[in-house]
Amino acid sequence: MTSQQLPPGLIGARTRRKEDPRLLTGRAQFVDDVVLPGMLEAAVLRSPHPHARISSIDISAALTVPGVFAVLTGHEVRDACATPQPVVWRMIPDQRMTDQYALAVDKVRYVGQPVAVVAATDRYVAEDALGHIEVEYEVLDPVVTLDDALAADAPLLYEDWPDNVSCRQTIPKGDAATAFAEADVVVTETLTYGRQMGAPLETRGAVMSWDPFTDHLECWMSTQSPNLTRDLLGEVLGLPVDHIRVRTPHVGGGFGNKFDFYAEEVLAALLSKRTGRPVKIIEDRLESFVANAHSREQRIEVSVAAKADGTITGMRGTVWAVLGGQLATVGIGPCWLSMALMAGPYDIPNVEATVVGVVTNRSPYGSYRGWGQPKANFAHERIIEKLAHELGLPANDVRRRNLIPADKFPYPSQVFYYDSGNYADCLDMAENAVAERGWRKRCDAASNEGRALGVGYSFHIEISALGPSKIMNQAGLQHSSFDEEVVRIDSAGGVTVRTGLSAMGQGIETALAQVAAHTLGVPLDSVTVLHGDTQTNPFTGYGTGASRGAALGGGALLRASTRLRDKVLRIAGHVLEASPDDLEIADGVISVKGAPGGPSITMRDIGDAAYRRLDGKLPDGEDPTLEERDVLDPDNVAFSYGTTAVLVEVDRETGRVDVLDYLLVHDCGTVINPMIVDGQLHGGATQGIGGALYEEIVYSPEGQPLTTTFMDYLIPTATEIPRFETLHMTTTADHIPGGFKGMGEAGTIGAASAITAAIEDALPDLTLHLARLPVSPPRLLDAIDVATASKENS
Amino acid sequence: MSTPTRTGRNVSMTVNGEAVDRHVDPRRTLSDFLRKDCGATGVHVGCEHGVCGACTVLLDGRTARSCCTLAVQAEGSEITTVEGLADGGELHPLQEAFWKHHGLQCGFCTPGILLTVTELLAGNPDPTDDEIREGISGNICRCTGYQFIVDAVRDAAEILRGTGTGTGTGTGTDPTR
Repeated sequence: MTSQQLPPGLIGARTRRKEDPRLLTGRAQFVDDVVLPGMLEAAVLRSPHPHARISSIDISAALTVPGVFAVLTGHEVRDACATPQPVVWRMIPDQRMTDQYALAVDKVRYVGQPVAVVAATDRYVAEDALGHIEVEYEVLDPVVTLDDALAADAPLLYEDWPDNVSCRQTIPKGDAATAFAEADVVVTETLTYGRQMGAPLETRGAVMSWDPFTDHLECWMSTQSPNLTRDLLGEVLGLPVDHIRVRTPHVGGGFGNKFDFYAEEVLAALLSKRTGRPVKIIEDRLESFVANAHSREQRIEVSVAAKADGTITGMRGTVWAVLGGQLATVGIGPCWLSMALMAGPYDIPNVEATVVGVVTNRSPYGSYRGWGQPKANFAHERIIEKLAHELGLPANDVRRRNLIPADKFPYPSQVFYYDSGNYADCLDMAENAVAERGWRKRCDAASNEGRALGVGYSFHIEISALGPSKIMNQAGLQHSSFDEEVVRIDSAGGVTVRTGLSAMGQGIETALAQVAAHTLGVPLDSVTVLHGDTQTNPFTGYGTGASRGAALGGGALLRASTRLRDKVLRIAGHVLEASPDDLEIADGVISVKGAPGGPSITMRDIGDAAYRRLDGKLPDGEDPTLEERDVLDPDNVAFSYGTTAVLVEVDRETGRVDVLDYLLVHDCGTVINPMIVDGQLHGGATQGIGGALYEEIVYSPEGQPLTTTFMDYLIPTATEIPRFETLHMTTTADHIPGGFKGMGEAGTIGAASAITAAIEDALPDLTLHLARLPVSPPRLLDAIDVATASKENS
Repeated sequence: MSTPTRTGRNVSMTVNGEAVDRHVDPRRTLSDFLRKDCGATGVHVGCEHGVCGACTVLLDGRTARSCCTLAVQAEGSEITTVEGLADGGELHPLQEAFWKHHGLQCGFCTPGILLTVTELLAGNPDPTDDEIREGISGNICRCTGYQFIVDAVRDAAEILRGTGTGTGTGTGTDPTR
């Protein structure tokens, strides 16, 4: 084990981001800014029905619209593809797969499923042509809700299945049955997490150019996972991957929605092959609400067995995953993780958790920042609150009694080894900070004015630094999860980093530049980070998700840069006639330690010695050039963690909740850039607040999506969001070079749990049971009514 | 570029100080016109129904949603997009402040927010945090959680008023320049 305490320098510095000037001036290129000669634009005809058989499709009229170049339907797409749309997470070996193509072939299973696609001179003409495609449907009874899907007489989405259940798996640890039999107290809760999605402000899009003479495919895509996308395009289209080049321009937010592999990229590629021209496909916002992966929606049954003092001895849980009409790229993945992490940060010896994947006539279920973790968190934190209420103990006392102690790491959970943490310290720090800020006094003062304020807490863990490839393969991942980084010093001493990670607003360009500059001892401005091109950049397994970029990219780059620094020092030692061990590098100048004003040599001189004028400068035995490559496939994932504390005000007349104050105490190991980390926490927490109070994808009883605009799907604006305060701890990941843990999803995970606890705290005269998200005003009023009636009856 | 048709119209306007004359379909949105016909790709289209604010431009000094405006409706107007904010190679103080305070992440909403704030500060050079939040509440940012945007706007306002601590680079006092 290496020491992970890095000396102060650019790692840990609050530097401005390298990517910002071009974003601030309109010079950044996003996928819709890519224009190629002869390029066509595509539009997709989507199913208006949740569940129907396609009787016939007539495209003849559409083909006569001036400016239309091609129209594709499902059978043509199936014939042109080597495989159905891929599913990369296959955790449950006997799972029933849905094996659908980029266009529906015989049957549609959700509103918005692609049925036909048009390529035309521009999007206006392509949309005109959609209106000329005649599709006859035989409408079938829809399966809209989880209960609909599980009903004994439910219509079947897949007629060769016995029911609508795609998969089921239970993972036990210890002996839950005995724990429950011997418990002093058992509490049980059924929770409903609403359907939500990442909704990046830039919708998804692709530009595909298929060369009919060489079968090479050039792709520009707004994706988080360029290497995975290239491999999957190769599988689906039957092309060697060396024929496929995926470039990602600036990505206008991903949040998981752009991790997944979708139909539209396949369709644009096939249209390009058909027409011999580049084809652009850009989803509009209305489409994004049905064509992007949905997330979050689950019913979770959770119960714990405990001693009278609050010690939890056992946990049971079932995650009912409300999947859509077909599996998305990540399959059961996020819902499986809800099950696998249901015990969260608690040292529970006996756990038995189950996941059941159920298909419904809703849009497919895929990735959204946090993956399964916000739901797992809602389960363990809600049940902690309920247990505390049952025992008459403060919830944080119950948390403290059960948090995994610092000396028990690495800690074997139901599935994963948690690497390190000081959980109790983190909770104490949050409680002390809340006391110092006088939140309780504010609650009391407000109460005297007849207002209802409350404080709520949650504790979250976040799996990051994904991860050891072979273990992930064993878990069912059909890809790898290592990361490769390349660093080069050029002939003038400039540094270029090449990465396979994607920049999507999270600041990876700056973070990697800081790691390289810190390690090499050069100014930040001398480092350029290249990303977003599978042809010229190294390979990263999986993609830029799972909070892995900074940890794995940072770790690999730290090791590569360290070796490159050693070579620089060897060359400098040769030129300066000094031992490399006696040299130091600062601000791009190499000199003898402790000898200010003595002989020195610049990084520019080193570049010259390695590339141009080698004689007399490059030591014998050293290769010319200055480049190092490193691959990090870590031994384990890493777990970040944190405590969320919120102060809310509840209007009991209207059910409105205002978040007044928000505090996060967080630990992600070594921090590369505290400003970026804070920005990630703020943004994640804002999505968490949205998910707790505002955001929900709603379907009508007939299976029609009712929330397809930003007027219906309520993303928080600046007036709904409080100021955030963040406090940091540092417990390094000692198996990751540099000690970095990832943290991109942290803010989303604990928000809803803390907010629901705070709402309950604001109404101490009632025993509220908030079990459904989001807590919209009507839902809160209903809960208040129920609690009031129960109080009057008791 | 949209194919000229018999129903097309000629439009003339000034975009970031340059006179522009084009023949467009009447249905061509101002956002498409600016992005595709004028090369102003800093105009971002986020929702095409006027809620997210990413496509915000200044039309005769006032903010307009270019996705819900037709190019022909902008006939004779003066348009400013994000490309028109910086002065040569020098960032506008507002852009400097967003950079300094990490007021952006993916940057997709940023052009619209910068132009919205330009209008806000023109009418209220010394806004409170609540006024800043209210002022940008018609612009969705999915990344930042808004706090660093508020910090950036407050700092930029101070610099533009000429009372700044000198941490910004701007010296102008008219936020619309």
